[in-house]
Amino acid sequence: MIRALVITHGNIGAELVRVTGLILGPVEGLAALSNSGKSLADLRAAIADWLAEGDAAGATGGIVFVDDYGGSCATAAQLACGHDPGRAILSGVNLAMLLGFLTWREGDGFEELVGRLVRKGREAITRVGGR
Amino acid sequence: MPVVLARVDDRLIHGQVTVGWSERLRPDRIVLASNEIAADPWQSRVYASSVPPAIAVSVVSVARAAAALRAPEAAHERTIVLTGTAAEMGDLAHLGAPLPGVNLGGMHFGAGKVEMLPFVFVDRRDLEALARLLAAGLALTAQQVPGGREYAVGAQQLAEMESRL
Repeated sequence: MIRALVITHGNIGAELVRVTGLILGPVEGLAALSNSGKSLADLRAAIADWLAEGDAAGATGGIVFVDDYGGSCATAAQLACGHDPGRAILSGVNLAMLLGFLTWREGDGFEELVGRLVRKGREAITRVGGR
Repeated sequence: MPVVLARVDDRLIHGQVTVGWSERLRPDRIVLASNEIAADPWQSRVYASSVPPAIAVSVVSVARAAAALRAPEAAHERTIVLTGTAAEMGDLAHLGAPLPGVNLGGMHFGAGKVEMLPFVFVDRRDLEALARLLAAGLALTAQQVPGGREYAVGAQQLAEMESRL
């Protein structure tokens, strides 16, 4: 199974994960981590622990979603994931990306899934009305 | 105008710096002074990639940062200087980097540290470094973001923290 971790400022990630459960029911292999109160070193260590836990459980890949490019979440994720081809870090996480992840992860290969999630996330940002 | 902000922040380059302080101070360059990160080209690239393209970035050792900041050319660049620890900022000051004062922006909790403020935790090594900065005549202020509350940190605060260790 491909696992995913949503790392954000404050409780954004926890709420996104909670809401996916409200829409799709209880899910496995999707967790949230907040940067609140953590140094970059502690955040990096927490991500590394989550990745190692997945490796030990036989995960077939790990996707780290972060809320913004260039912040502590993205930097810690890059440092923790290193150059491992079984990891991907995607910034700008939104609900559509997480729903896509949970819907497609069983059928897609890792790189195919990553590309699809980037496209889905971008497609979800659109003007839907107001004029 | 040389150093416009000298900041101790264990997250180093992140939103509070690249958006918050940079929007306010409009730096030409961000200097990340860290012996550990400067020695690792990949880590240096990761941190440097977090800086908006309009701002130049240098990831260098503490000694190289001090030398660059002392150079006459530095006077023409508005610069934000970052270190991950108070000890590294103390080293920068000791090596003659012209600092306007020191901003304590993020010193998160760790083993053996006590809370000075919700975003400033210190241990004995931090206190020694901060005392060294005060002795060098630098004002210490704790402030996470522009517009946020600014706390003066003086010998009295350091002594109080020392008593709680």
